[in-house]
Amino acid sequence: MKIGILSKRTNMFTGKITQFYEQSGHTVSVFTLENLVINEELLKNDFYILKSKGLFFLYAGFFLDENNVKVLPDPYTSFMQKHRIHSHYLLRRTGLLTPDFYMASLETFRNQLVLSDFPLIIKPIMGSGNRGVKKINSIDDLDSDNNEILYMEKFITGEHYNVYFIADQICTLVKPPLANEHVEMEMITTPNDILRIIKKWRNYLGEKALFGHLDIVREEKTNSLFVVDLGSFPEFSNWKCEVSPVEKICNLILNHVVK
Amino acid sequence: MTKIGIIIDNYHLNSKVAEFLKYLKTISEIRLYIEESYLFSSEDVKCDEDIFFVKAKGPLILSLVKHIEELTSIPVINSYKAICLAINRFLNSTYLRKAGIPVPDFSLNPEGISPPFEDYIIKNIVDQKNYKFKPIIKKHHNHLMVADERALNEVNGTKEQYKYKYYQKFIKSEWEYKLYGIGEEVYYYKQKPVLINPNKLETRQEIPENSELKEYCLKAMEIMNLKITSLDFHKSNENEFFLTDINSTPNFNYIKDGHKVVADFLIDYAKK
Repeated sequence: MKIGILSKRTNMFTGKITQFYEQSGHTVSVFTLENLVINEELLKNDFYILKSKGLFFLYAGFFLDENNVKVLPDPYTSFMQKHRIHSHYLLRRTGLLTPDFYMASLETFRNQLVLSDFPLIIKPIMGSGNRGVKKINSIDDLDSDNNEILYMEKFITGEHYNVYFIADQICTLVKPPLANEHVEMEMITTPNDILRIIKKWRNYLGEKALFGHLDIVREEKTNSLFVVDLGSFPEFSNWKCEVSPVEKICNLILNHVVK
Repeated sequence: MTKIGIIIDNYHLNSKVAEFLKYLKTISEIRLYIEESYLFSSEDVKCDEDIFFVKAKGPLILSLVKHIEELTSIPVINSYKAICLAINRFLNSTYLRKAGIPVPDFSLNPEGISPPFEDYIIKNIVDQKNYKFKPIIKKHHNHLMVADERALNEVNGTKEQYKYKYYQKFIKSEWEYKLYGIGEEVYYYKQKPVLINPNKLETRQEIPENSELKEYCLKAMEIMNLKITSLDFHKSNENEFFLTDINSTPNFNYIKDGHKVVADFLIDYAKK
């Protein structure tokens, strides 16, 4: 088959899946932001893998999907996981807890927030991981030159978990707060309440979430679990369970496309 | 009395809706949600309006609209989907073409890769802010290349956002056909294209109903869930219409009694 991969880089996980498919006799083209032109030219591949959720990769995904070319993971679900507002309501619809959020101009925040509203956490509206994310303990922590509309979430104090899943395989790690996926983390046996969250999430999305990851915080005060970030296609750099993520994911995708 | 929530920004509030609000206040109860001074809290939006009318397209506005749609059954005009698609030229071109509405060929290219057509116009990808089209025109070997200053700023400006340009094939047209869709009513005008005469109102004239344009207009509204819109069409040398622009926050002051038409439409819609 002719496979296109939409990815911000050609190495790391993308390099590994390219190698896997090529060794299995498929032809693979990787489209990065250097060479991705979004028009009818893209329609020549049989299907695409949406490795990165950057805006232009998502645009390519929407374009391909509208033109009946299969894209995995599903671009609309990937977009909802990347966009904080969409992911908030998606999680609510799934029946999972997620932090409440505020949006306003800096001036409005200055005039209307009170000390007890803090700590908050500022995040870009389109984003995942820890880029542009910062804990805000008071209004003075915000950049006073910023004249954009800002998005801030309630900061949940507690233990952070990075939970990967590939089909029914779940790998749970304890992570430092606000760290990215790649820092050293300790694997733990997945607690039952986290298992239930992953099950709920997978049941809700069905085949639109063959794999992925959730960042979860166990709130100190209440022991409740809050989902604070989502990922439709992580690097799996801390995957410490038995199966090979590359082989498992490549086969899952291929089986799904063939089906 | 019908309760109407007006979701708006300062730009539209100060310069586009004075007559509309004045009239609306005589027939309904109004509450304003102004982007620049509203604190949106996802746990604390209480609304008892019969309908919302959106006259802006910024990020807070979109989030508030999404929130209302997710948690209530109050109608919002225009909807979240309608605004998101209308402000994104690439997405609306993709969806409209799929629905059979003729749009000019288009391509999203990284900086440095030429578009697949010789006469083109570079437009900003997401039209979310309030500013006017400022064309930069170049002619080379009998080919026309037009760029919107905003689009170039988004790629090369001091606050560079990305390295992509949206190219739309340029359709040379003697007239630009401007349609307004309000509910099921369509209003028809034509004017000289802005590239020929920057003062678009100077040449604007009402034209008779055109069944082909009407079909495209109503179909585009249905596909994008737009209840109030304006659309621009160019007519090629082969007499084919192409939809070049679609808007979710049209300036209805250009229609005769536009403020009344829109206000009455909202009240009727709320009563349904």
